[in-house]
Amino acid sequence: MNRLDYLVLVATILAIPLYGLWRTRGSASLGQYLKGDASIRWATIGLSVLATQAGPITFLSMPGQAYESCIGFIQNYFGQPLALIVVCAVFVPIYQRLKVYTAYQYLGQRFDRKTQLLGAFLFLIQRGIAAGITIYAPAIILSALLGWRLNLTIWLAGGLVIVYTVIGGTKIVSITQRYQMIVILIGMAIAFAVAVYRLSPDLSFQNTLFVAGKMGKLEAVNFSVDPHKRYTFWSGLIGGFFLALSYFGADQSQVQRYLAGGSLKESRLGLLFNAGVKVPMQFFILLLGAIVFMFYQFEKPPVYFNQPAYQRAMESGYAPELAQLQTQSDEVFTRKRAAIRAVSTASSTERDTAMNTLRKLDAKAHALRDQTKAVLVQAGVDPKSKESDYVFITFILQQMPHGVVGLLIAVILCATMSAMAATLNALGSTTAIDFYRPLIRPNASDHHYVVAAQALTAAWGLIAIGVASFASLVENLIEAGNILGSVFYGSILGLFLTAFFIRRVTGSAVFFAALIAQMLVFVLFATTNIGYLWYNFIGCAAVLILAPVLQQTIFRGTEAHAAV
Amino acid sequence: MSAQDDGDNARSWRNSYSVALSIFAVEVMLLYLFTLRFS
Repeated sequence: MNRLDYLVLVATILAIPLYGLWRTRGSASLGQYLKGDASIRWATIGLSVLATQAGPITFLSMPGQAYESCIGFIQNYFGQPLALIVVCAVFVPIYQRLKVYTAYQYLGQRFDRKTQLLGAFLFLIQRGIAAGITIYAPAIILSALLGWRLNLTIWLAGGLVIVYTVIGGTKIVSITQRYQMIVILIGMAIAFAVAVYRLSPDLSFQNTLFVAGKMGKLEAVNFSVDPHKRYTFWSGLIGGFFLALSYFGADQSQVQRYLAGGSLKESRLGLLFNAGVKVPMQFFILLLGAIVFMFYQFEKPPVYFNQPAYQRAMESGYAPELAQLQTQSDEVFTRKRAAIRAVSTASSTERDTAMNTLRKLDAKAHALRDQTKAVLVQAGVDPKSKESDYVFITFILQQMPHGVVGLLIAVILCATMSAMAATLNALGSTTAIDFYRPLIRPNASDHHYVVAAQALTAAWGLIAIGVASFASLVENLIEAGNILGSVFYGSILGLFLTAFFIRRVTGSAVFFAALIAQMLVFVLFATTNIGYLWYNFIGCAAVLILAPVLQQTIFRGTEAHAAV
Repeated sequence: MSAQDDGDNARSWRNSYSVALSIFAVEVMLLYLFTLRFS
């Protein structure tokens, strides 16, 4: 990175919060602080919802995921448009009619206080940890590659978000997310164009896609019914539907986004905008990863993308082993490049043979990377994040022109800031409205609760920074976030669906049903290896089955509240 | 707001949901065709 890059980076990440602070200057009522005001329209809501979900992990990890395996991850989003329609038709009208600040207040009105607290508690645990991952994930990669100090990176990005979220509340989060998302979309479009432009002139774009497809990178849809396959049409449609329904319907970080503005019409339009754009957006991000993969078939890639870890292993006595692997890797690269040219020029009868040669070489290249990782582990420089997370950022730093590099680092930081702001805003609001107000200070003034929400938002920011400072990741960054969500979301969604659709169930029955369902998901998570998206379905189904059963047996005779 | 307005409003939203569903179906179909073409 040079001065131009730093100028673009600093200007982008500072200008948006400063503009937001200017737009939200002056004091706000509790309603304005937690729900924004009527000036927030559907486009802002739509971009804000999109930015909250995207996060830095989408832009760092997802191209790497396509590079490493294929673009099949797109199927995880297939349930989302359907879920968003259900949220528009069922959830939003109820939240708007009851004028709730948080989704869990609805549980309190429909059932009882303990069910409200359980829903809010499950949300706080899950989102509190997720907020730490949101900031840790990009910080560890940027600090490793750019030489920034990890804790300083975490504190600078996190500190800025805490300051503006605490001051401006929901309105500033929505306004800043709108412009951060615009920067993200422009940055990713430029990255896509540059990546296509930098592809080898040896192959046309069509031939590049053809070879990438033959190397297994472009399988977007797979109709397999094997439950152990992580990404299939069915797991995406069914598991993804429950994940998205839970996320958009019952996760306060999203509920707060579309309730901003207060109009049913604007909320629905903002959500339907997401139903239309999410799948194409994710497709282009994944396709970008496949294009980067093809770029590195003609331009020699590093033998291991996490270069800082690689360098540390070189310096700690493992240079001979790594040099040998590097030589073998160089040789495979040269042969593979020749094989790709052979595939693209082969006649249809020779093509199968050429493809077999190419696949064998690709498997060998994979094996060499695995051996390199094994040496790194042996050297004690075990990387804390998956190597594929370093692919796209390495491509940015080495292949993009100056200025664009700064813009794309700003994209990653904007995504971090927007996702974290929404999360902190929701954590602070939920703690203030669902715990502090009913349990600690029931009858204080509006101003008192605004100050409490501000203090709690700041406290959650510090907790997120604390989690980030001590975190070490076990799996790919996208996976960590989605697995965490899937483990908790099923039972939370079950609470809401029971509230909406099973009138005779009371608070105690649904409360214990949710507790049992959550235990069941924990046990399945610890003892089986089924695709994690299914946890959403299992947790939700368990609540929906157990709640009426408990109502008819143990809690028979307790009076059911009328459905709200 | 009259009952007539409510009915029109509900019908208009149902149409919006149908449009969103149709767009999604087209997106999945295009992705499937993309898979068939390049895999």
